[in-house]
Amino acid sequence: MSTSSANRTIEDILLKPDAIPAMPPKTMVKEALEMMTAGRLGLACVVDRKGCLVGLFTDGDLRRLLLRSQKPLSALFADDIIDHARTEFMSVDRHTSISEALSLLQQREIFDLPVLDSAGKLEGVIHLHPALRALLESDGA
Amino acid sequence: MMSKIISVGGGDVATVNIGGAGPLVFLGGPCAIESRDHALEMAGRIGAICKALDIPWIYKSCYDKDCRSSIGSFHGIGIDDGLEILAEVRVTQGVPVVCDFSDAEWAAQTASVVDFIQIPAYLCRQTHVLLAAGETGKPVHLKKGQFMSPWNMKNSVRKIESTGNQQILLTDRGTFFGYNMLVNDYRNFPIMAETGYPVCFDATHSVQLPTSMGNISGGQREFIPALVRAAAGCGINALFMEVHDNPDEALSDANTQLDIRYLENILAQAKATHEVRLSLLSQWGEDNVHVEC
Repeated sequence: MSTSSANRTIEDILLKPDAIPAMPPKTMVKEALEMMTAGRLGLACVVDRKGCLVGLFTDGDLRRLLLRSQKPLSALFADDIIDHARTEFMSVDRHTSISEALSLLQQREIFDLPVLDSAGKLEGVIHLHPALRALLESDGA
Repeated sequence: MMSKIISVGGGDVATVNIGGAGPLVFLGGPCAIESRDHALEMAGRIGAICKALDIPWIYKSCYDKDCRSSIGSFHGIGIDDGLEILAEVRVTQGVPVVCDFSDAEWAAQTASVVDFIQIPAYLCRQTHVLLAAGETGKPVHLKKGQFMSPWNMKNSVRKIESTGNQQILLTDRGTFFGYNMLVNDYRNFPIMAETGYPVCFDATHSVQLPTSMGNISGGQREFIPALVRAAAGCGINALFMEVHDNPDEALSDANTQLDIRYLENILAQAKATHEVRLSLLSQWGEDNVHVEC
């Protein structure tokens, strides 16, 4: 029996921290890109020592960075990821419904939403594809 | 961005702080320890000049010259005799001393005497050497290799930091420009300063022409004053120069060591340039041309 997506929360489809590329602020850009590639996610979550999210860096940020930066690539690779991460970002909490999360992804035209607890600690990421899959399955499509 | 401040010496010798908006610090002395009497005489003469100019300073001289061009070159006085002489310089002059080491197994013994432990430029990415330096607990003077980009020095810094040691001075001593030639890229100072650590200019090695004379290195000492003024204007926390009373007869780096008769002139200008730069920063603020990416 399928459950309406409106009644399910994102906790059901959350990518847990161990499944997402999370890294300290002083991770080099090169290392961050390797972690993103290994994690098969176009998103790097920059977290402080307490696990709180302090920055996000996406595939799109990388494209824009490459178009703007005049540094040699070797210098860019050696930069700290936090120097290029966005430090203002939208997030949701674990009680958000899947449909609310999907609406945000759609409105912002983004692929990922970080999920934080009340202290700002990273609990996971909502990625578009698992969210869509859950929506389609729950609606019996 | 002001750098952090590292502290060298203390106890039975002067405490010399390097970094922040502090005074320009001088690191100087003969390239190699040639003899006890020569070391003590040079320390006394350099100390008198620095005292007259009110410049904090650290005595530099090395017991082993492992990167000489030729097997026939003077290799150094040796670790035991060299450290004994450096210990005497410390006691008699009350000045902290810096000395490099080129074998990881020498780190602990070297640090048992010196206040500041130095990594030779050619060894700036040798993990065992960097870890050995960091583990001594002494502040580390890390020279950028002539082959290294300034941004890649971050890897070397992190190797030292992995030991828990966060007292590092980063020095530029020139960058290879083809064979047997060095140039100075002054962007290296702000780039290395992005690590948060203070930076230093090694003026005498910067004018070196590495192994340009077949079995020894040449050098163009005439450029030292201009390069020093430029570096101090760009922004450094310390200045490094090898100084000798008779450079032409020096046992190592004869073509680049500065004759001590020029030292006062150059140090006075370096200090004045440094103070003007700090004054300009105070008046106009930190450099604020940013890249929006």
